[in-house]
Amino acid sequence: MIEKALQVLVVEDNAGDARLLREMFSKEKPGSFELTHLLRMSEAVIRLANGGVDIVLLDMGLPDGHGLDTVRQAHAAAPGVPLIVLTGLDDEALAAEAMKEGAQDYLIKGQIENRALPRALRHAIERHRMQTETDLIRTDQMKFQDEFLSHVSHELRSPLTAIYQFVTILLDRLAGELNLEQHEYLQIVLRNIKQLQSMINDLLEVTRVQAGKLTIELQCTSISDAITYTVNTLQGAATAKGITLSADMGCRLPSTNADPTRLQQILIILVDNAIKFTPTGGAVKVQARVFEEDPGFLLVEVSDTGCGISPDMTERIFEHLYQITDPGQAGRKGLGLGLYISKELVARQRGKIWVSSEPQKGSHFFFTVPIFSLASWIGPILMHEKNPGDAIAVLAVEIGSRDGRLSPDVRKEKSHLARRLLQQCLRPDTDVLLPNMDSAGVREILFAVVYTQEFGAEVISERIQRQFQHCEQLQTADLTLAVSHSFLAPISRVKGESTETFVEQVAAGIQDRINSIRLQRSI
Amino acid sequence: MSQKTILIVDDDPDVRLGLRVRLKANNYNVIFAADGMASIAEARKRKPDLIILDLGLPAGDGFSVMERLEANDSLSLIPVIVVSARDREANMDRALKAGAKAFLQKPVANAKLLAVIRRVLGEPALPEKPVVHDLGSL
Repeated sequence: MIEKALQVLVVEDNAGDARLLREMFSKEKPGSFELTHLLRMSEAVIRLANGGVDIVLLDMGLPDGHGLDTVRQAHAAAPGVPLIVLTGLDDEALAAEAMKEGAQDYLIKGQIENRALPRALRHAIERHRMQTETDLIRTDQMKFQDEFLSHVSHELRSPLTAIYQFVTILLDRLAGELNLEQHEYLQIVLRNIKQLQSMINDLLEVTRVQAGKLTIELQCTSISDAITYTVNTLQGAATAKGITLSADMGCRLPSTNADPTRLQQILIILVDNAIKFTPTGGAVKVQARVFEEDPGFLLVEVSDTGCGISPDMTERIFEHLYQITDPGQAGRKGLGLGLYISKELVARQRGKIWVSSEPQKGSHFFFTVPIFSLASWIGPILMHEKNPGDAIAVLAVEIGSRDGRLSPDVRKEKSHLARRLLQQCLRPDTDVLLPNMDSAGVREILFAVVYTQEFGAEVISERIQRQFQHCEQLQTADLTLAVSHSFLAPISRVKGESTETFVEQVAAGIQDRINSIRLQRSI
Repeated sequence: MSQKTILIVDDDPDVRLGLRVRLKANNYNVIFAADGMASIAEARKRKPDLIILDLGLPAGDGFSVMERLEANDSLSLIPVIVVSARDREANMDRALKAGAKAFLQKPVANAKLLAVIRRVLGEPALPEKPVVHDLGSL
């Protein structure tokens, strides 16, 4: 079998060293290796990016490269190509570091034995191939595991449904009277059903995280609402255990740029944990304030007077297979996936989560959430090049009902649909659909900002109307949809004004317009 | 006020029975179907006021049942509530597009199920009960 010649890239600036290498290759069978010799890292990166290189021999002392940095650069340019580094006698430590960065092997110049070079190359290539294969197998296995877990979790919901139905039928006395004992035992069953339901949901959430299918819908939302909801929901459980649960939120906290459902989810996990790990008579407190270290974020703290966590565990508790193994934790139920899920949710909303704790001294869990800023949403379109006559217009789509009453469920569904259609009518660089900024009103108004000419705004409005007309679900008898637009007075940029200030100004103008539109509609 | 009839389509007999007991206690008349073909036959014969359809039906899933209901002039007028063990994100849009009035994820809390049924049937909503210790949808 005729083997293809191995394409070797040698990056070595020292002429003498290069010549020695070439001589070693010349001793090999002709046609087994094809050498390309470059002297600078910059050239090597280009050559690697073009592809076709099977292996790289990289000198770490290049004129335009710095030791480990050259390894990183080579990796970045051609991630699938194995690398052998060439070092001097006193550089073995550096070479070892290079291997940590991903080099397959290192060779000490001046100490390369006869016939060692081609053997080293072949081994490096083989090792790399096996590594890639193992990675692929592992990825496949994980994917299978996730799909399996997802399938099983879904199937578990059916029998759970039947159990729930009949336990509640008995509890509601639809099958006859119950004595006190029977009622009590059925309550225990119901509690465990909810526990099971929670565990299944957690499992499914984790499979979604692994599969990259976690959905987050960023909106302008209030953290106080999420905290209030959490405290109300878990007050019963806290009281049952003799624990005081309280919230302390600074006055007039700014809105956050987050997913309200996910915020609730994170808080419920943290507070539920706090209650679980705090003995009777203890206290759990939820606080929120502007983050001193970064005023673009809010800091939320969930603290308890419970058993605490040992310092060496404070990072590990966020891993998904972590479970507390302390036998003293009686009544510790659940899969222990809550913190892993929370970490993922916090990260997806651009925040961070951490804990400060000591055994027997309680725990303080912290997480950050970005503060909502209209400027960050409209900034990108303002950077777009302006055509003469272009101006900012605020588009409003109002979803209402003829009798004036829209149930929250229906409103959510229709709004979701309308959003999607509206998004399709907007252009990527010059228009932006603003996130939901007001879910309290009876009327739902969707806002978009478009950067266009007078007739351009009309064209978009018409397009939107047409989309709505063609959508059956938005043409139900009692639903009303009104599309309108209004231009902002042109805001010219003052000389020397920073981009930030300019964007903030425009954002303020847009916010004003939105406020007045809302005011008009509520009359 | 005459009793409304609800057609339950689910292949799990326990779930069907559980729903019947619960719905009868709330003054609804309940009929059953265990698969796609039976559901269309029952709908034609009995003309229910509402259909509660499980998406995870064997051999011809819930979606194909909806297609057939939509295709028939008189049957397409019957409102359908879809229930499923599968997730909202994956199935809600498709269910709503196929004509469902609501999508509920199993297991459905009793209060929520009844509230959605009342809404879809155009009955006035009952006053909401205070929320008790409630993790998840139950």
